[in-house]
Amino acid sequence: MGIHSVGTSDAALVRRVQTGDTGAYAGLVARYRDRLGRYALHMLGNREDAEEVLQDAFVRAYRSLARCDDPERFGAWLYGILVNRCRTAGARAARRARRFVHDPTALETAPLAGPDGRTEWDDTVRWALARLPSESREAFLLKHVEELEYEDMARLTGAGISALKMRVKRAREQLQAMLKEAERV
Amino acid sequence: MRSVFTRAALPLLGAMLVAARAATQQTDPRLERLDAATRPAVLALVDSARRDLLPTEPLVQRALEGATKRASGDLIVAAVRRLAVDLGHARHALGSTASPAELSAGAAALRAGASQTTLAELRHVRGEPLIVPLAVLADLVASGVPVDSAAAAVLSLARRARDADLVEFRRAVERDIALGAPPAAATAAAATWTAQSVDVNAGARPQRPGRP
Amino acid sequence: MFDPVDDVIERIARHLRRPVHIDPALDGRVMREITELPTPGGATALGKAWRWLRRPHQVTLTPLGGLAAAAGLALVVLLSRMDPTAPAASRAESRAFQFVLVAPRATHISLVGDFNDWDATRTPMHRTGSEALWTAVVPLEPGRYHYAFFVDGSRWLADPSAPLARDEDYGAPSSVLTVGGGGS
Repeated sequence: MGIHSVGTSDAALVRRVQTGDTGAYAGLVARYRDRLGRYALHMLGNREDAEEVLQDAFVRAYRSLARCDDPERFGAWLYGILVNRCRTAGARAARRARRFVHDPTALETAPLAGPDGRTEWDDTVRWALARLPSESREAFLLKHVEELEYEDMARLTGAGISALKMRVKRAREQLQAMLKEAERV
Repeated sequence: MRSVFTRAALPLLGAMLVAARAATQQTDPRLERLDAATRPAVLALVDSARRDLLPTEPLVQRALEGATKRASGDLIVAAVRRLAVDLGHARHALGSTASPAELSAGAAALRAGASQTTLAELRHVRGEPLIVPLAVLADLVASGVPVDSAAAAVLSLARRARDADLVEFRRAVERDIALGAPPAAATAAAATWTAQSVDVNAGARPQRPGRP
Repeated sequence: MFDPVDDVIERIARHLRRPVHIDPALDGRVMREITELPTPGGATALGKAWRWLRRPHQVTLTPLGGLAAAAGLALVVLLSRMDPTAPAASRAESRAFQFVLVAPRATHISLVGDFNDWDATRTPMHRTGSEALWTAVVPLEPGRYHYAFFVDGSRWLADPSAPLARDEDYGAPSSVLTVGGGGS
């Protein structure tokens, strides 16, 4: 699996947390923050949603740590939680938009979606990624960005390997088409 | 006879009262950290609170904070006096059975701008201790939420939400404010979602094992 | 199998694989949230937490260099309920809270607040593992506590991840920690 730990092992930190050393959880959070944040950012398309989902995933993981059957694979287990949270985050983000959309001042003060300091290529990639159906985007990111094996993707997503391969294939085709379309503009 | 007794007893009684007061005022050695000019005023405030059956520990801590931060005596006395007044108002609103922790939290809420009516309503709608609801109210106002919005939201949640729900509600508001939402709108929205979450949790299904 | 001829897809993937830096303040927000939760390990955590409190403890963390420039990241971590053999007066509702501050350039930090009579000598914080990480543990009963960090004997620092004390009378910042009863 494409998730490695360095220094004090994940298992050691998990065991410390499970026996009351809550502070050790900070080590796990620091270790996985950026890596998982990358997936959340690409999946959700904006940093604010990504950070909220990431925070939620870390808290849920802590709450359920007793159910982490294999502390050596904490990273993969945490990944599964994050994938799950990203799936439901879209609905939550939509609800938030509805909460504030009728408040004109909210629109004026709300942060702009998307990352800062973007290049044109970055904009193009994000545009194309956002246009993928969420299942395809998820599969593409797990396969080609997080570089997971299909067996691991199946465990994380609950989908079959054949279905995942089909989603990846469709994502590649759609991205290719969209990028070629963008280059013509 | 009676007048002789009275003439003898009154001075004795007066001396006893003075001695008792002196003993009370000098029981807390921590206040030795205050300078000689400030100490008597603070001791008097603490003593007055004790006589009024108000908690004195918050007053002592406020004075000690000032001493450690090297505040002037005037500032320390003013701060302790202000807190004593707030504690009294909190007790008036929350009732004589309010715990010291509730009174402290209530005083903070009053200082933040909540009304005594709001505190009394909280007491009326919520059977559990009020430490967390009052603290959440004060913290929301400190985060920039208008006091009326904060009070309305906390009151709406107080009947059914647990302390943990209220803490989560406060965090949600702070998070949305940090993301740029107007404080009042963030508060109203988070209150709605927390209320729905409380309703859902009341009839929650057990989670699938292994997949939180 | 990935098609090596598919240049567009590889370009996209390479681009998306670039490191992303999430605001390290998220760590503090996570740690603050989990202070409200019971220890995930269950019944045995109680005795082990008490033993942890009674001995020096090292926490090994990956570097937190991103926080070095900030005034400090403070985490308040609920460890566990106190040992049942503790004196009855403190046993009833006390819980152990771990305060954590990231301050790589400090040489001495005290945790000061309502729980230690604002005595700057009573609760020195200790470096644990990482050079940047300072911790202290305090048992707290339900209530509302003002506190602050006193850095190098000269500077008062509020907890950036906790509510500010609104009723601040002395010009130096303080934070507020509310400890509820019944597990909150």
